[in-house]
Amino acid sequence: MSDRAEIDRTLIGSSAASFTVEVEKGAIRRFAEAVGDPAQIYFDEAFARSLGYAGIVAPPTFPTTFRPHSKPAWIRGLDEGRFLAGEQGFRYWRPIVAGDRLECALRLTDVQDKRSSKGSMELIIQDLVITSPAGDMVCVNRRVVIYRGLTTTLAQEASS
Amino acid sequence: MNPAALHKPGDTFSIRRGPITTTQLVMYAGASGDFNRIHYDHPFAVQAGLGGVLAHGMLTMAFAASCAVEAFGQASRISRIDARFTSPVRVGDVVEVTATMMERDAPGGPIEATLTAEVDGRVVLRGVVEVEGSMS
Repeated sequence: MSDRAEIDRTLIGSSAASFTVEVEKGAIRRFAEAVGDPAQIYFDEAFARSLGYAGIVAPPTFPTTFRPHSKPAWIRGLDEGRFLAGEQGFRYWRPIVAGDRLECALRLTDVQDKRSSKGSMELIIQDLVITSPAGDMVCVNRRVVIYRGLTTTLAQEASS
Repeated sequence: MNPAALHKPGDTFSIRRGPITTTQLVMYAGASGDFNRIHYDHPFAVQAGLGGVLAHGMLTMAFAASCAVEAFGQASRISRIDARFTSPVRVGDVVEVTATMMERDAPGGPIEATLTAEVDGRVVLRGVVEVEGSMS
């Protein structure tokens, strides 16, 4: 049995409802604690300022916490047990700091089919575009999520 | 105060994180907003064919980012960080991330390092980080 495409290709190029994020010190601290990162720039405002930052700094992968208020249309109805992390990338125009108010737009950039010895999968390529209220670019976070076909086993698992 | 560990091409810097606990995965779920049950609900993850819970890929990437920031110093400004997840990470795994400074394409160009995360010698993440600045 072969798996067939399950993600609606007509949604390529569409965006989820844009949303605003207020970057909070507490959210940065909890994120840094969860990932076990003790770097002072995430906890100590005076220290961060001494290095030229405008406030407590958000860790480089922090924009992964910026999520639309409801699931984007292209994800809705899919089986959460079949998602796997594929790739992520962050391009920065400036650091994100506590106190920032940011506008976020999540776009479905592409959907691609992929086959391997383990079976078929679809790659969901999304771009989160993060701008200042004035419209200046701050960060783009590309998220490539793997959606395993129904008959596809866990890919890339090392034998053990 | 936060000296860079990478100065010239070929220099390496490593950090170690873990062993990863289920508690940490729950903390990361809460901090990140990624509540996919494959990361903390063992029966669900088994039923999904994963053999048990998997760590969030983005937790491993956060480790890679920690390594990058420490390697270049907290004053450095990261302009780009990219990663590909090559193998699952599970509870109990110890993750070692190594940053290796790359040759510079041109004087004044971006400073780059490769990032490799491993569990017992198995590569779980490959990436690259680019920082601004004019490190000599």
